Amino acid sequence: MCQDYIYDKEMEQIAKEEQRKAWKMQASVTTFVCPCKCVPGIGEKYSTWEPTKRELELLRHNPKRRRITSNCTIGLRGLINLGNTCFMNCIVQALTHTPLLRDFFLSDRHKCEMQSNSCLVCEMSQLFQEFYSGHRSPHIPFRLLHLVWTHARHLAGYEQQDAHEFLIAALDVLHRHCKDDNGKKANNPNHCNCIIDQIFTGGLQSDVTCQACHGVSTTIDPFWDISLDLPGSSTPFWPLSPGGDGSALNGESHTTGATALTDCLRRFTRPEHLGSSAKIKCSGCHSYQESTKQLTMKKLPIVACFHLKRFEHSAKLRRKITTYVSFPLELDMTPFMASSKESRMNGQYQQTVDPFNNDNKYSLFAVVNHQGTLESGHYTTFIRQHKDQWFKCDDAIITKASIKDVLDSEGYLLFYHKQFLEYE
Amino acid sequence: MTGYQSYYLAVKTSNRDFQMKMEDMPLSGPDNTRLEALAHDIYSELVEDACLGLCFEVHRAVKQGYFFLDETDQESMKEFEIVDQPGVDIFGQVYNQWKNKECECPNCKRLIAASRFAPHLEKCLGMGRNSSRIANRRLASSNNMSKSESDQEDNDDLNDNDWSYGAEKKTKKRKSDKSQNSPRRSKSLKHKNGELGSGVGAESYKYNYNTGISYETLGPDEVRSLLTTQCGVISEHTKKMCTRSQRCPQHTDEQRRAVRLFLLGPSAPTLPDADAVETDSFDIPDPQPLMSRLQWEDSDISPTDSASSKASTNHSDSRKPKKKKKPSLPLNSGGGGSGSGSLAGGGGSSSQSNISISTKKKRPKLSAPPISSIYDDLA
Repeated sequence: MCQDYIYDKEMEQIAKEEQRKAWKMQASVTTFVCPCKCVPGIGEKYSTWEPTKRELELLRHNPKRRRITSNCTIGLRGLINLGNTCFMNCIVQALTHTPLLRDFFLSDRHKCEMQSNSCLVCEMSQLFQEFYSGHRSPHIPFRLLHLVWTHARHLAGYEQQDAHEFLIAALDVLHRHCKDDNGKKANNPNHCNCIIDQIFTGGLQSDVTCQACHGVSTTIDPFWDISLDLPGSSTPFWPLSPGGDGSALNGESHTTGATALTDCLRRFTRPEHLGSSAKIKCSGCHSYQESTKQLTMKKLPIVACFHLKRFEHSAKLRRKITTYVSFPLELDMTPFMASSKESRMNGQYQQTVDPFNNDNKYSLFAVVNHQGTLESGHYTTFIRQHKDQWFKCDDAIITKASIKDVLDSEGYLLFYHKQFLEYE
Repeated sequence: MTGYQSYYLAVKTSNRDFQMKMEDMPLSGPDNTRLEALAHDIYSELVEDACLGLCFEVHRAVKQGYFFLDETDQESMKEFEIVDQPGVDIFGQVYNQWKNKECECPNCKRLIAASRFAPHLEKCLGMGRNSSRIANRRLASSNNMSKSESDQEDNDDLNDNDWSYGAEKKTKKRKSDKSQNSPRRSKSLKHKNGELGSGVGAESYKYNYNTGISYETLGPDEVRSLLTTQCGVISEHTKKMCTRSQRCPQHTDEQRRAVRLFLLGPSAPTLPDADAVETDSFDIPDPQPLMSRLQWEDSDISPTDSASSKASTNHSDSRKPKKKKKPSLPLNSGGGGSGSGSLAGGGGSSSQSNISISTKKKRPKLSAPPISSIYDDLA
C-alpha cells in the first residue's frame, strides 16, 4: 500500500543461499582475488556484514565510534623495553603490521587446543587486541617474553639477542602451537596448513648440475627468510657469476653506485662452482664430478623476509658490516624464480617483463634497523600503515616517518608483502 | 528517506544531461542512426542498472537501519588523530614518561618494574649465569630432597641450607646466591611454592633447601656421633633431623632429649643441659677452646646465615637464664616409657662422661649485637 520497496527476510535468505551455491560452482573454474584465504581451495562468496536487530539497537544506543581512517592511531602502539628486549619489540611490531596475520587474528581464527596457559598463538592474539584497543600508553609484553623464553630456551637470558634469531624462533614456536588449528598435524609435517606456513613459508630450489653429464639433481627446502651476503664481508661479493653474465663487471670492486637489494638477490641465485674439493657423486653418470649449484625460488611466501647478513662471525673477525644497501619499495621477484631460470636455460635469455603477471610483485611494509656495534646496539623498526604512511617504532615511542627516512636507513631485516593474493 | 531519493535524482539528472549531449551530436547517415540508437539503448540500460543497483543498496541500508551506522562523532575522530610534531609521539605524548610501569611476574607473582623485568625473569626462571650453577649445586647436595617437602619449609629449614651431614662446606659460594635470594624473596617463594612446582621445570627450582638428615638411613654409631654435634630433633613435617647446633633455638632441649632417647634408647647420652646444676660450675669456660669453638661455629654458619644465627644467639641469650634455673636431671622426666629407675642409673653413668665432653662444648658467650632483624618481617 505504501508503494515502497520492501525487503522480506525469508526471500532474502533464499536468494543469499542460491547466490552462494552459484558462486561455489563458479569458484572451481576460475580464480578470484581475495585477501582472506579462509578455506583454501573452496571459494566462499564474500558478503558484507549486516547487523542483526539486536546489534542495531546496541549501535544506536552507543553512538561513539572508533573509525579507522587514514589518519588514525588505532593499530599503532608502543612497547616497553623490558631490559635489552628491543630485539623482541621490533619483531613484534613487524608481525603486528603484517596485514594477513592481522586479519587472521582479528577475525579470531585461532582455536586453541593447548591445555595450559602457555600457547604463544593465544598470546599473539591478545597482542593484536592490545594494539587495536586504542590505548595510548605502551604495552608491556612481559607475558610474551616469559612464553618465548619458556618455549625457546636457547633464546632465554638477559642479554642482547639477535632480532633475526628471535624472528625464526618465534615463527617456529607459533608454527608448533598453530598445528593444533588444523587437526592435520600428524599427517604431513612438511605441508602444514597453519597460518604461519601459509604466510611465511616459501620453497627454495637447489639445483646441482653435474659438469660431466649435465644431469641436474633438484631439492626443494622450505624457508622462512632469505639471508643475503653483503659486499664488505670477507667473502668476495663481486663478480656475481663465474665467468660473468654479460652485465656484471669482472673484478674486485663494483664502483657504479650503491649495492641494491636486487644485486644481493642476483648473487644469491647465481650458479656457483663447487670446487674440486667438493665433488658430488652424480646419479646420472655414477662418478664423482665437479658440479655447479644454483639456488632459485621455487615458491615465494606471501611475506618474504630478507635478512642482510650484517654481522660477520668468521674466523678472522667479528664485526658489523655497515655497507649501505638500497632497497626498493616495490620489488619484482620474477628474475629470481625457478621458472625464470628454466626459461633462461631454454634460450630466452632476455625476458620481457610481463606487466600483467602479478604473481611476483612485492611491496615493502616493515624494515628493522640496527644501530651500534656487534656487542651492543639498539633495534628500531619502520612499519607501514594505511598504504603509504610510515612510522618509526623505537620501543615505546612511535613517530611519523617519511618514505625517504625508510629508504635511507641501513636495513637489517626487510619485510615484503605480496601485492596480489590468490587462491591456491 | 530522502537520502536515496536524492541519489536517484542526481543520477537521473546526469543521465539526462548525457542524453542531451548525445542528441546534440550530428548524425551521419541512416545506418549510423540505427547503430547509434542501439548503442544508446545499451548504454542507457547499463547506466540504469548501475544507478538502480546503487539506489536499492542505499534504500535497503536505510530501511534496515544501518545506513548511518558508520558515522562517527567529531570527538572520537579527534581522539585518535595522528600527531606529527617534534618532541611528541603520534599520540601527542612526551617521550620517556614511562618509567614507572610495573608488571606481575608470571613465575613468582611479584610486581616488578617493567624495565627490569627481563633480568628478574632470568633469575626467577633460573636461567642466569649464576642461577644454574646455584641450582645444580643445590640439587647435587640435596639427594634426599623432594619438591613437595619444600612446601613445609619453615625458618629452620632456611638455615639448614649449609648444614648437611658430611656435606662439603660451601659457605662462601652460598653467600653469593643467598644474597640474590634476599630473605624477602625466599619468603614470597615459600608461600608460593605450590605454584613454583607447576611452573617451568626443574631448572626453575632454585630454592631447594637441604632440610636435614633422614635418621632411618643412618646406623646407630652415626646417629650417636651426629647427636653429639647437632640438634637432631626430628621435624614433624619432613621426618628429618635438624642439623643445626645443639643450641638451635627452633627446638627445645626437651625435644632434643626425646630424640636422643628415641634414637639411641636408654643409653642415650645426655645433653649438656641435662646437668643444669653442674653447669654453673662450668660457667667460666676455658677461653682457648671456647674461642676456637667460636670461630668454628661462625665459619660453619654461612655468613649470610649469620643474621639468622645472630638472631638465634639473641634468643639463646635470652633463654640462658631460664635454662640455668631448670631442675636437675630432666632426663628422668624426658624418659617416659620404661622404668625411670634404671634410666636414671644408666643416665647417670653416661652423664658422667658427657659432662667432660660438655666442657668443650660449652655454650659460647656470644654477645652478638642485636640486629634489626630481617627475620622480624618474616615472622
